[in-house]
Amino acid sequence: MSEASENLSGSTWDVERLLGDALRPIEPPGRLSGRFEDTLSALTQAAAEELSDWAEELSESELRALRDPRNWVRPVLAAGVGGVATGALVLVELRRRGRRGSGGLRSIAGRIKP
Amino acid sequence: MSETEQNVEPAGLDPATKAELDRAFEKLYRDHLKDVYSYSYYRVGNQHDAEDLTEQAFLQAYRHFDRARRESDGRPLRPWLIRIAHNLALNFYRDRARRPQTPLENADPIPARHGTEAIAEGREELRQVIDKLDSLPDDRRDALIMRFALGMDNREIARALGRSDGATKVLIHRAIKQLEEEMSDE
Repeated sequence: MSEASENLSGSTWDVERLLGDALRPIEPPGRLSGRFEDTLSALTQAAAEELSDWAEELSESELRALRDPRNWVRPVLAAGVGGVATGALVLVELRRRGRRGSGGLRSIAGRIKP
Repeated sequence: MSETEQNVEPAGLDPATKAELDRAFEKLYRDHLKDVYSYSYYRVGNQHDAEDLTEQAFLQAYRHFDRARRESDGRPLRPWLIRIAHNLALNFYRDRARRPQTPLENADPIPARHGTEAIAEGREELRQVIDKLDSLPDDRRDALIMRFALGMDNREIARALGRSDGATKVLIHRAIKQLEEEMSDE
């Protein structure tokens, strides 16, 4: 029997104390901030470049035409530059899938040495 | 995927507003990175997936930050962030259920010694409580992670889980009671 269970009376466990000990907040690895900033910068830059390229393609007459609400289909399509972002998110997802799976809390429990 | 979900940048903002929004988001990120990472870690159980989940959670948060801030009415945004991570974790497990599983013994070990592990080494009762926690119904387990790993109060947990304060209080009470009973059965 473990030390803790010997100290507990009857069948009562001090579960809240155990949970407090077991579920400590975890310091994220330092590389995570850099990684997030890189991803966000890449996504926003790619989106900005897509918009810029699209704007440069327009002639004066096209710009005038765009002021007509009947021609607003193209800007709506331009909003699809977010597809770049989606692509990057897919990359993030693929990177995640590329790694081996794990077992949630059970895997944490398995790594606690008896 | 809808158009709104595809765009990462908050749309239609003038540069000054965008800069202010970015500063506010940076503060949110700094203040709550540890919370989102801790929650993700305890949900997925390893560093790599926790990092991915945390990154995705903040990308989603950035996408909807302007609206969330307007609608929060000054209330803290931590429950909203944790709710994003919570929903992503649900998708993570839904997704994994459709893929071949890797046996736990083959899972990557955490390279650096983990704070929790250092504390927990040699503590059989901690291993037991984590093991039992993992066996609880999802909502009870998640509420306890929010309470004990993140120090969230009932109101915050209620917002993160989309429940009433009263229902959350009952949920946590029952979760602790169930854990006590299962620990006693060992």
